[in-house]
Formats: sequence, C-alpha cells, structure tokens
Amino acid sequence: MDTIRINVNKQMDGYSFSITPSIRDFIKKLFPNAHPANNIFVGYDTKSDFEIYVGKLESHIYPALLGVDNESDLNQFGEIQFIDTQTGNILHKLTPRDEKV
Amino acid sequence: MLGWNVAIPEVDIGDDIFVVQDDNGTLRRVQVKTSTSTARKESFSGQFSVSVKNLRNISNILVHYIFLVRYNDEWSKPVIIRQDYLLDHFENNKVGSEAKGNITFYFSYADGKVECSGQDFTKYIKDFTDFPKIEH
Repeated sequence: MDTIRINVNKQMDGYSFSITPSIRDFIKKLFPNAHPANNIFVGYDTKSDFEIYVGKLESHIYPALLGVDNESDLNQFGEIQFIDTQTGNILHKLTPRDEKV
Repeated sequence: MLGWNVAIPEVDIGDDIFVVQDDNGTLRRVQVKTSTSTARKESFSGQFSVSVKNLRNISNILVHYIFLVRYNDEWSKPVIIRQDYLLDHFENNKVGSEAKGNITFYFSYADGKVECSGQDFTKYIKDFTDFPKIEH
C-alpha cells in the first residue's frame, strides 16, 4: 500500500495532525467501517506529558486520525509519514506492522 | 440569508470574516477572494492568489475560501472550497501554480460550470454544506 501522509502543523499552542480528503476517501473505500477524522489537535503540554508517561504520541495519533482500530487492518498500511506542512520535512515515520502499541 | 452572524477580525492575520452560529458558538473562518474577469468566447475567467503558508496552516478550525469574479457588473456565484480540499487539489491534482509563496488559481466559467487546471469545480458552486440555514 502507498505511503500515508499525515500533515503536522505546528501552531502557537500545539500540533494539528490532519489528513487530506483524498486519503480519507481512500481509507473509507478500503475499510467501509472506518471513521477517519479531519484533524486532531494536541497541545504541547499534553504531548510532552503523554510522551513521559505513555510513549511516542505519533503511534497513538495515526489509528485515531485514520479511524481504524483493528490491528490487522492497520497492518495493511505501508509506511506512515508525519510531514511538517510548512517545510515538507518528514518529522517521523513508522510502519504499523512493525509497531507495538 | 442563512442566519449566521459575521464578525470582521480587528487584526489581519489571513481571515477576512469569522462566521458564528450564535446559539452554540460554532465558528467558521472565511477568506474571501475576488477577481476581475477576462472575457472569452461564451465564457470568462478569473485569477486568484492564495498564500501557500496560509493554505498549509491547517488548524482545528479550517478556513473556507470563497472565490468570486466580477463579470458584466455582477458577481459570479460563489465557489466555496474548504481549506483541506483546496490543499488536496493543489498537492495531489496539480491544481494552481506556485510562485514566490503564493498559488495562482485560474478559474474558467462556462455554461454554469467552473474549471480550475482541468479539474471540475462545479460541485463547489454555492456549496453551503458547512453553513446550514439557521432558524432564529
């Protein structure tokens, strides 16, 4: 499966994670029961607390954003890239089947 | 009239209008883009410039872009596109051309249809989906 791009926009008070409508449509076609979200906002303080106590935030963001919670469905995705929307830089990348959430 | 209240931001950071649903505080951010027209045979076109930085600045409240062309002393029907859809067209459908931090979009109007860079934008004409009528 093609790479899924998650846009990351750094705002004054936190990060907005979003996917484009074409990716949402693609996911809905692939998994009709999926409910992909437009975007998820996480404040800087929430992110840092979460990463101290739980782990890397991105590993928990992508299932919520893509609206897919079934592990076998998630494993069908190839690489998931977190892209800084302003610079185009890859901030983080992961492959669900290699992840242990 | 759809019954939404509007407010003009005091400080210009890219939004032209805040549109508010009074009873529950639902907020829409609106950026209005206008253009003069170039007449062609049985059609006309308009040209709009959108900041790349603003278009990519996806926040939890998305901007709705409203495109209007002045043609024959009248405004065209509004083409209303939400930020993420316009960004998707730009990044994945090669819509618009980027130069010096801005994207130029050329809209062609003919027979009640609108096209931009070969993509049919007719579905966005008067697309008030995100602005349902409010009864007061």
